[in-house]
Amino acid sequence: MSKILNVLLIEDDTIEVMKLNRTISKLNLNHNIIEANNGEDALEILEKKGVLPDIILLDLNMPKINGIEFLTILKNNDILKYIPTIILTTSNNQKDLLECYKIGIAGYVLKPLKYEDYVSKIEKLLAYWSINELIKI
Amino acid sequence: MSQEDIDILKRALQREKAARKAAEKILEEKSRELYQTSLKLEQLLDEKSSQLQGVFENILDAYVVMDLKGNIIKFNEAATHFFGYNIEEESVNVIDLIYKEDMQYAMSSFMDLQGKGFFKNYEARVYTKSKAVKWVHINASIVFDKDKKPIAAQGIVRDITEDRRTRELIEEQKKQLDTIVDNAPFGIALTQLGQMIKTNAAFQNLLGFNAEELKQKTIKDVSFIEDFPESKALLTKMNSGTLDNFVIDKRYKKKDGSFIWAKTNVNAVRDSYNNIKYQVALIEDITSEREKTLIIDMINDVAKSILGKIDIYEIAQEITTNIAAFLGTEDCVIYLVNKDIGTIEKIAAYGEDINYKNASDNKFSLQLGKGIVGRVAKSKKAKIINDTSQEPDYVIDGQRRFSELTVPILNDGEVIGIIDSEHIDKNYFTKAHLKTIKNIASLVAMQLKSAINLRERQKVENRNKTLLKALEKSNDELQEYAHIVSHDLKSPLRSIYALVSWLKEDNIGNLDAASLQNIKHIETTLEKMEQLISDVLNYSSVSADNSQISNVDLNSVVKELIKILYIPEHIEIKVHNTLPIIKGDKTKLQQLFQNLISNAVKFIDKDKGYIDIDVVEQTEQYQFSIKDNGIGIDEKFYDKIFKIFNTLNKSEDSTGIGLSIVKKIVNLHNGNIWLESEIEKGTTFYFTLKKAPNETPK
Repeated sequence: MSKILNVLLIEDDTIEVMKLNRTISKLNLNHNIIEANNGEDALEILEKKGVLPDIILLDLNMPKINGIEFLTILKNNDILKYIPTIILTTSNNQKDLLECYKIGIAGYVLKPLKYEDYVSKIEKLLAYWSINELIKI
Repeated sequence: MSQEDIDILKRALQREKAARKAAEKILEEKSRELYQTSLKLEQLLDEKSSQLQGVFENILDAYVVMDLKGNIIKFNEAATHFFGYNIEEESVNVIDLIYKEDMQYAMSSFMDLQGKGFFKNYEARVYTKSKAVKWVHINASIVFDKDKKPIAAQGIVRDITEDRRTRELIEEQKKQLDTIVDNAPFGIALTQLGQMIKTNAAFQNLLGFNAEELKQKTIKDVSFIEDFPESKALLTKMNSGTLDNFVIDKRYKKKDGSFIWAKTNVNAVRDSYNNIKYQVALIEDITSEREKTLIIDMINDVAKSILGKIDIYEIAQEITTNIAAFLGTEDCVIYLVNKDIGTIEKIAAYGEDINYKNASDNKFSLQLGKGIVGRVAKSKKAKIINDTSQEPDYVIDGQRRFSELTVPILNDGEVIGIIDSEHIDKNYFTKAHLKTIKNIASLVAMQLKSAINLRERQKVENRNKTLLKALEKSNDELQEYAHIVSHDLKSPLRSIYALVSWLKEDNIGNLDAASLQNIKHIETTLEKMEQLISDVLNYSSVSADNSQISNVDLNSVVKELIKILYIPEHIEIKVHNTLPIIKGDKTKLQQLFQNLISNAVKFIDKDKGYIDIDVVEQTEQYQFSIKDNGIGIDEKFYDKIFKIFNTLNKSEDSTGIGLSIVKKIVNLHNGNIWLESEIEKGTTFYFTLKKAPNETPK
């Protein structure tokens, strides 16, 4: 049936992290959430090979290395570039959207205001990726 | 015949016989004397014959021998021929031969002959037998016998009548020639190796020197060094023999320091070896003629060269070049007066290969009122300075030049620029120069002024361009900023929403109805806040920069909108005409209709609501109307409602930005928006959109 996913969540906002965790437990899903507070932390985690995530959920507006910069580094890495990366952001800036698809993303999801809407979006997202065939490195 | 008469005749005859006898006696005596004299002379001649024979026989000139009383003893053949007497047959005394006016001179010469024994170079007139007057040249000497006793005089008489006449003719001609030369209206100078040997009055007058002063001078002394190369080339040709004559326009220095322009015609006078003996220079003063032609030429040249030019530096450069050529100087500068900062800026200089437009480092500027140029700029009066060394505030630019001509360029009574020219020589510039440059100044003033204006305008335009760029940049930044701000503002809202939801979830069953209601209020407030942020972002996004222009079928846009939008059951939307195709940004036009329809929906308070959408075609535009039967708007708010954050009703789903966005979109498409309304009856919004398909909205 559906796989259990290793999800790397790159998000600087604590409550956003709580939201995802709470959503997973609320939906009784068994996916593993790996948390990274920013791009730098995420790169550190990714460099420890063996624990590579199945998918990455990436926020755009972050301090230090921002989402697009992180994405660029990721896509320039011969190993890491295969990990499907889904943008999870508030920004519906057309410019950001274009830029991300240009660099290479697996999805672009806007964070809704309402928590219920968020739960619904995350449920679908995870459901989709758990039925996908993923590269295991 | 009476006896008395016969007696008278007899007596007369006797007297005659007696007289003839007496005369014959005298003649006999004379003959004897002559014979004796002849004998003496023969003796003498025999003695001298050896030395005289050759001369006597061979000379072509007349040879005359006379005794000491003046009786001619001997004529040679030439003398006989010359005087016309045959002394074999008639006796001739020298007195008979002397022209009476020359008698005195003849006597004194005869005294010389007696005293010194000879005379030489006697030149006087004589009579021939036929009473013709001839000029003769005589050298004479006394002839002595063997006892050193003077016995006769001999002389060689040369007929110089022809020579004399020729000489007189030459004299006459020379006099005539001198008269011509001296009275010639043009200057004539005879020179040898550059030295002036003779000059005529006109030449002396032209240069202001007298004849003696000129004899001390060479042509070089009165010429300008600048003219040498041209003269030299021609003189070299003349010396080599390939040229006998040339004409050149050149300047001559006058005694008073000024100069004249003269057409100079130089002719070579050669010796038999074809070497130049003399040069004759004819000079004609063409100063005023030249000035006139030059003035006209220059004015023409200046006018031509600046015609159509709009670059101030280019214009100034043309002017300096023309003026320098006209004035014959190597220095001409144009300054621009900048009244605002009280300086005078050099913008062009003849001979300097600097483009002052770009050469900001080389800017040469003066203070208004300081220096000669500065003073003229202040006084607005043109000035000639004959000796700059007498001017303490002369500013040396490059090198000291002694003459300076400074003319202001006036426009509307204001000095806008200065033309300044200098010359190395003192007293160089004339009033005529000044007048001409003044003319040039007024000629160029207008063009220069408009060029200055253009330059000012370009400055402003450049500044505007920079500003516009900065504005564009800050607009982009603002746009970016709006996105970041909206993100940053929305994030906490989301977090609060999540937290509130969790509170509700975690305390289900523990919260009373009032608490649940309050939580509901928090959520609604959060939603409104989120909407507000989105609208602000939208509003700031509605700008021309991101417009994507295409043909937009408004009919399908509106039909689509009606399907998508939430329209309550009791409201009916009718589109009365087929809406046109408009050139514009589809997303924005969609938002325009969406906002207006939503607005209408929002304010319908009647049980049965109507929204009527219509269009009227006009000449250049379409006029759209969206009419509702809602609450209506008070007239005093007509303007206010289009302003951002002005909402009239404290409605839950109204942020007060919708109509501002509408107005912005209409304006972006070059249209207008206005409204008609009646309180409680309803409102009609009208807006126009440009029709012409080739007129793309800005």
